[in-house]
Amino acid sequence: MAGYLLRRLGGMVLVLLGVSLLVFLIMQLVPGDPARTLLGPTATAEAIAAVRQDLGLNQPLVNQYLDYLGGLLRGDLNNSLVMAQPVTEIVFPKLGNTIILAAGALVICLVVGVPLGVLAATRQYSLFDRGAMFLSLAGASVPVYWAALVAISIFALQLGWLPTSGMYDVRNPGGFGDLLLHLVLPAATAAVVPTAVIARLTRSVMVEALQQDHIRMLRANGVSERQIVWRHALRNALPPIVNIVGLQVGYLLGGVIFIEVVFSWPGLGGQLYTSITANDMPIIQAGVLFIAVVFVVVNLVADIVVALLDPRTREAVR
Amino acid sequence: MLPQNDSRRLRTRPPRGRLGAALAALAVLLSACGGSADAGGGAAGEPQSGGTLAIGIESDTDVLDPHRAGGWVTYRVNRQMYEALVDEDLTKSSEEAPIPEIVPGLAESWDISPDGLTYTFHLRDGVTFHDGTEFNADAVVFNVRRMTDPGFEYYDARSAGQTVFVWQHLASVTATDPMTVQMTLTQPFSPFLRLLTQGGGGSTGIISPTALQQYGNDEIADHPTGTGPFRFVDRVRGQRITLERNDDYWGEKPYLDQVVFRPLPDPSTRVSALRAGEVDMISVPSPDSVASLEEAGFTVDYSNAPHLWYLSFNMTDPIFSDVRVRQAVNYAINREGMAEDLLRGTVNPAYSVLPPANSAYQENQETYAYDPERARQLLAEAGYADGFSTTLMTSVDGSGQIVPVPMAEYIQQDLAKVGIDVQLDTTEWISYLSKWAEGLPPGTGMGQMSWGMTTPYWINIVTNSSLQAPNGSNVGHYSNPELDALMQQAATATDEATADELWRQAAQMIDQDAALAPIVNDKAPYVLSGDVQGFVNPSEEWWDLKTVWLS
Repeated sequence: MAGYLLRRLGGMVLVLLGVSLLVFLIMQLVPGDPARTLLGPTATAEAIAAVRQDLGLNQPLVNQYLDYLGGLLRGDLNNSLVMAQPVTEIVFPKLGNTIILAAGALVICLVVGVPLGVLAATRQYSLFDRGAMFLSLAGASVPVYWAALVAISIFALQLGWLPTSGMYDVRNPGGFGDLLLHLVLPAATAAVVPTAVIARLTRSVMVEALQQDHIRMLRANGVSERQIVWRHALRNALPPIVNIVGLQVGYLLGGVIFIEVVFSWPGLGGQLYTSITANDMPIIQAGVLFIAVVFVVVNLVADIVVALLDPRTREAVR
Repeated sequence: MLPQNDSRRLRTRPPRGRLGAALAALAVLLSACGGSADAGGGAAGEPQSGGTLAIGIESDTDVLDPHRAGGWVTYRVNRQMYEALVDEDLTKSSEEAPIPEIVPGLAESWDISPDGLTYTFHLRDGVTFHDGTEFNADAVVFNVRRMTDPGFEYYDARSAGQTVFVWQHLASVTATDPMTVQMTLTQPFSPFLRLLTQGGGGSTGIISPTALQQYGNDEIADHPTGTGPFRFVDRVRGQRITLERNDDYWGEKPYLDQVVFRPLPDPSTRVSALRAGEVDMISVPSPDSVASLEEAGFTVDYSNAPHLWYLSFNMTDPIFSDVRVRQAVNYAINREGMAEDLLRGTVNPAYSVLPPANSAYQENQETYAYDPERARQLLAEAGYADGFSTTLMTSVDGSGQIVPVPMAEYIQQDLAKVGIDVQLDTTEWISYLSKWAEGLPPGTGMGQMSWGMTTPYWINIVTNSSLQAPNGSNVGHYSNPELDALMQQAATATDEATADELWRQAAQMIDQDAALAPIVNDKAPYVLSGDVQGFVNPSEEWWDLKTVWLS
C-alpha cells in the first residue's frame, strides 16, 4: 500500500508539472498583450513598454516559466497582473467557494443518485425502474444553463422560496444559514447531470451484483432481501461507483463554471473566465493548477477507498 | 470600449421610438418631481435619509485605484469615493444638459493664464480624506507626481500609462501655498480641464498621500481612501463592494446610508435579481426583458452618453484610399433603418464623428443621409460601377459593442445593394481588441469600434496621423496634414469658443473626407425599482449617487 501510494504521488507531481507547462504554452498562443489590456486603447507605445518591463514580460519565455516554477516551490505564485495582489489571496477564496458549491452538489448526487440506482436495480423493468431511468436519461441530457434559468424562474421568482443568485444577501450578509439558502439552487442544478450518471451506473452494477453466485447463496440461506441489497450486493458494487463519483467530482469542478455564471456564484470558474479575457497569466496558471490538484487528489482518494473496500485491487497494485 | 472589465457587454436596447422617447421623458419627469414610477406607489414626497441601495452591475470591477483603473464599470465605483480637482455636473439628465457642465471639485476655483500655459487651482478649505488626513496642495502634488514623475518614490508606471493623455503636456506642478497648486504646460491645451474630469481610462481622483505611503502603490486598491461622499467599507471579490456615507463630506451629504455594488455578469441573472428585489437597480438589462420590466412597474432610464458605434476605413487599401468610395459606403448605410428595425430605437442614428454629448456637437448634420442612388453614382465615378469585394472586421461581443454581428450583417446587406460584396471577419472581444489596436490589416477595408468622450479631443485620438496604429488608435492609418494642423490649433486654443469652433471645423473635415463612418449612438439604459428616487442618468458613462434616496 505504501509503495502504491508513493508511486501514485510521484505520478501526480508529473501530471501537475505537465498541466502547468501546457497552460503556460497555451497562454503564449493567445493573442493580445497583457500590458495593452492593462492600459487601454489610448496607451502609447512607451507606456506599454514601461509596463511590460515592470511586469517582467520582456524576459525570455524559458526564464518566465522557470521563475514561475521556482516561485511555486517556495509557495509564491506571484501577483495578479491586473489586480496587483498576490495570486493566492485572489484564487484561494474563489477555489473555496467553488469547492463549497461542488461539495453541495456532490452530497445531492450521492444522496439521490445511489439510492435511486439501487432501488431501480432491485425492481428491474418495473414502472419505477423505467421511470427513474427515463428521468436520469433526461437529466443527463439537460443543458445546465437552461435548467438553471428554469429553476430560478420557478423557485426564486414565482414561488419566492430561494434567492436568485449570489452567495450571501448583499444588504445584510448573514452566516451559515444564509449561505445554505443561497447554495440550494446552484448545487441542485449542478447535481442534475452527475446524479443521473451515478444513478444509471449504480443500477447497472447492482443488477450485475445481484446476479452473482454468492448473492444466490445468501438468498438460499434466508438472509433478508434488505440485507442482501444494501449490505452484500452494494458492497460489491461500490468500487466502480466510487470511481465514477471520483470522475464526477472532476466534471463538477469543470461544470460548475456555467452554474457560477448563471447564479453569480463567486467561484474559480468566473474568476478564470475574467482572467482569461484580461490575459492575467498568473491567475490562470494558479486556477487551472488548483483544479488539477483537486481533481487528481479526489481520484487518488477514490482509488484508495476502492483499495480499502476491495482487497483484490490491493493485490493487483502491489 | 475599455477592455478591462467587459464593462458594457451585451449592451441591450429596450424599444424606444416615439413611445420609448415618451417613456424616457416620463421617467425623467417622474424622477425630477420625486414621484414614483410605480403607479400604486403614490407620491414619494420629500427625500429621506437612510437605507442601503444595491446596484447590480454588469461585471466585477478591477482595481479600486482611480489612477490605475481602466473601464467604465470600475470608474462608476471609484468616483463615489474619489474626487478630482474639477468635476462634471452629473445632477442633470441628458435632456436637461446635453453636455455635463464643468464645475468645481476639490478646487474651488481656478485661473488660466492668458497664454493658456499656467493653471492655478485654488483648493477647497476644510476637506479631509477618509483617513482624517488633511487635503491640501501637497496632497495634489503628491498625486500628480505619482502619475507623471518617474523620479518620484511613489511613481507608478501603470497610473502614468492610463492617464497619459491628461498629463501629456504637463511641464511642472508646484504648491505655491498650502491651498494653491500651480500647473504649467508645455503648450496651451484646451481639453485639459475636461480631461481632468474623465474616468474611463485612468482618472485624476486625489488619493490620501498618507494612505498611499502606508499601503504602497499596489495595496492602495484594497484600502481606497479619497475625499468623496462615500467611503469604502469592504469588498468581497465577485460578491460585493460596500460603501457608506461619508458623514464628514464637505458638500451636500448623500441620503443613502450604504451603497452595495453587486457584480452580476449574466444579463438574465441581473434581471432576475432585480425582479426578486435583491438589487434596487441594474445596468444593461437584457433586450427582451425591458418591456415586461416596464409593465411590472420598473423605470427604464436612458441617457445620451458619448458612445459612438463607428467604422474606420483602411487608408492603405487601394480601394478605400479613394474618398468617393468612402463616401459611397456612408451614403449606402441606412442608419435610420438599423436604429429602428434592428435595434428597435434603442440607439440614435449617428451622422458625425462628434457624439451629441460634446461641446462642439452640431445638430442636424446629416452629411450622409441614406441615399443608395448617390452611392452607386459615386462608385461609378470611382471606377467601381460593377462593385468590388472587401472585408469588414468586427467583434462577436464586447464592452459597449451593442450587437456587433447583426449590425455588421445589416451593413453587409446595405452595401450589397450598391454592389459592394462584404465578407465579415469576426473575432472574440479581447482578441479583437488586440487585432484592432494593431491597425486594419491589408485586405480589410473596414474595422468597427465603439467609443467616445465628452471632449472633442477624442477625434484627435482616432484620426491624428501621429497616432496611427500600433502607436495609437488611428487604426485606419488616416493621414491628413491639414486636419492635423487644425486639431493642433484647436487643442492649443486658449479660449473655449475658439477651440469649439476649430473642433467643429475639424469634425466637418473628417465627415466630409469620410475618414470614419459613424453609424449609431448608444443610450445607456438603467432599470430602477419603484423605491429608487432621485437617480439621474447624465450624458456620461457614469453617474453620482449623492442625490439618490429610497422611499
